[in-house]
Amino acid sequence: MAPMIRRFAALALIAAATALGFAACGGSGQSIKVVIADYSKDHTRPFWQGLADRYTKQSGVKVDLQVIDWNSIDQQVSTMIQNNQPPDILNLNSFASYAKDGLLYSADEVLSPKTRDDFLAPFARGGEYRGVLYGFPILASARAFFYNKDLFARAGIASPPRTWNEFVEDAAKIQALGGGVIGYALPLGPEEAQAEWSIWMWNNGGDWKSDGRWSIDSDANVKTLSFLSDLANVHHVTQVNPGKTNRTDGAFQLFKDGTVGMVMGFSPLAAQLDKEGKVNYGVAQMPTNAGTPVTLGVEDYLMAFKKKGNQDAVKGFLDLYYQPDNITRWITAEGFLPVTKSGLERMGSDAKLKPYLDALPSAKLAPTTDPAWDRVKLDVQQNIGLAVQPGGDPKQVLERLQKNAAEAGGAR
Amino acid sequence: MGGVVVFPAVELMRVSVGRYSLTGLRQGFVGLQNYARLADQEPLPGVLVNTAIWVVAIVAVTIVLSLGMAQLVHQEFPGRRVVRWALIVPWAASLIVTSKLFVWIYDYYFGILNRALTAAGLLRAPVDWLGDDATVMAAMIAVGIFVSLPFTTYVLLAGLASIPPDVYEAARVDGASGWRAYRSVTLPLLRPALLVAAVLNMIYVFNSFPIVWTLNDRNPGFAHDTMITYMYKIAFKSALRDVGLAGALGVVNVAVILLAVLAYLRVSRWREELA
Repeated sequence: MAPMIRRFAALALIAAATALGFAACGGSGQSIKVVIADYSKDHTRPFWQGLADRYTKQSGVKVDLQVIDWNSIDQQVSTMIQNNQPPDILNLNSFASYAKDGLLYSADEVLSPKTRDDFLAPFARGGEYRGVLYGFPILASARAFFYNKDLFARAGIASPPRTWNEFVEDAAKIQALGGGVIGYALPLGPEEAQAEWSIWMWNNGGDWKSDGRWSIDSDANVKTLSFLSDLANVHHVTQVNPGKTNRTDGAFQLFKDGTVGMVMGFSPLAAQLDKEGKVNYGVAQMPTNAGTPVTLGVEDYLMAFKKKGNQDAVKGFLDLYYQPDNITRWITAEGFLPVTKSGLERMGSDAKLKPYLDALPSAKLAPTTDPAWDRVKLDVQQNIGLAVQPGGDPKQVLERLQKNAAEAGGAR
Repeated sequence: MGGVVVFPAVELMRVSVGRYSLTGLRQGFVGLQNYARLADQEPLPGVLVNTAIWVVAIVAVTIVLSLGMAQLVHQEFPGRRVVRWALIVPWAASLIVTSKLFVWIYDYYFGILNRALTAAGLLRAPVDWLGDDATVMAAMIAVGIFVSLPFTTYVLLAGLASIPPDVYEAARVDGASGWRAYRSVTLPLLRPALLVAAVLNMIYVFNSFPIVWTLNDRNPGFAHDTMITYMYKIAFKSALRDVGLAGALGVVNVAVILLAVLAYLRVSRWREELA
């Protein structure tokens, strides 16, 4: 046992020394922790590492950069906060709960007026909690309707559907081609069900909220979910088990394989399709049952955590990122959409982005400014798929989501 | 030792009696409230049943198959060394990678399992192994068995190697051979090894996260979760998003597996074995 104990003692010493070392770093030169979500292996880390190095060179402040994949970022950030070691700067797809907990600096505290004025108005509004900007737009994306031109030609369909009736007819024609061909790939599994659902809901005149209150179980929404259920169980124009299909390795995979007529995609999917060159696809507006097509806009955020003595360092880093050259270089590399006026000027002429930029004016955001949304989103992801399975009850599922959403509004 | 075992345990207890906001911010002490709230969670009974099926099925089938495999690789035959090495592969591979691999093997559209079974005439139409409520658990258990076989086989192989050859000699003199010798000599002498294999596998399979998480990630709700994946979903992937409640379930999980192991040891009367 003695050698064992000695080994532990040695380990403990090393641990203590390392801890002291870190403490020493904090004392002499300042350091900030920057946590970024991994958008792509090729671009995310290289860009942020470059930015961090530049920042350290110009300010002397060290940057502890952590690039974390989307699957585990919620858990890792939660652990940091539990252990009282929050990041200084965090990139995430939600912000309101952090603002509600009083953890964040507002835009006035850490962004220069020039940066604040550069944000496109809808995205700035999407980052406000109780009228104050806490979630700084980092990038945006918009969904668009993707269709397989070869399958459309084989089925004798001249143009992408504009209404829901046309959509169902076209899906049936494509499905009728046989040989494993699928009309529409509907992903309502837990990965991103809230996104798919938002688009269908809005294009039937429904919404998450009306007059400031949750309206998840409205009549229009029950009809929408029943419509989706019928696609699978009555018309049989979807892939097997749409309530148990995820987006990335389910619906997108099938579309990339060329066996699916239609899917809701976004620019990163287009980039993959272009790279593989296997599918001849077109991009169009969403089919609608409400007159005007609506699409889903998604905004991700940067947040600055209040910590003693970090305000200037955080401010310097954010201002560096929001320099038009930097933010535009990164958003272009990742294939997303600009969130600033200067970025829109620079990227507006990019032909590849045209369909998504055209869709932006008709894009709606999910209610991310409400802290309750952070729970509602998870609830929808975990449950809405059950409604479109055989024997599922759309009305009951929506009523339950509505009840939970109303309660989440009052939750801690 | 204290730091490695005691610190996480104390930390888990501390979490389980705390109230946390969605972001993970601790907001105070709530005593045993989280434990009381656990009892109100609708999915919990189903999750308990899933966990029992998951552990019992994997451990039982694994041990039966491993007995055969250990016997096989215990024999002298050409290429034994290669077979023994190959046996380690499923164990050495990362569980996440193995699980992802099986996701594609089971896939309704692209998977080779459906293709092979329909080609062989065993299935008329493809099956959505991971989406069909009737097959998900069995599909996950099969992967669980696959990755548990190597370790178990090696434990039993070590047990076989420790049986002195002269015992078999004596058995043969007494007229026992083949199946009779296996039942009356090998199995009783293997009991310590079997006990070790069963107990370690119980703990290991109970705590296993990656297989269920990866193969079940497309399914909504909690119908196929074990206590470990359910705990993770409570903390991060459900509307609850409650670290305190998940901590309480974590403490319950430790208690459950401890009790299960103690019950097993009692039933198998391990004291007499070691005496």
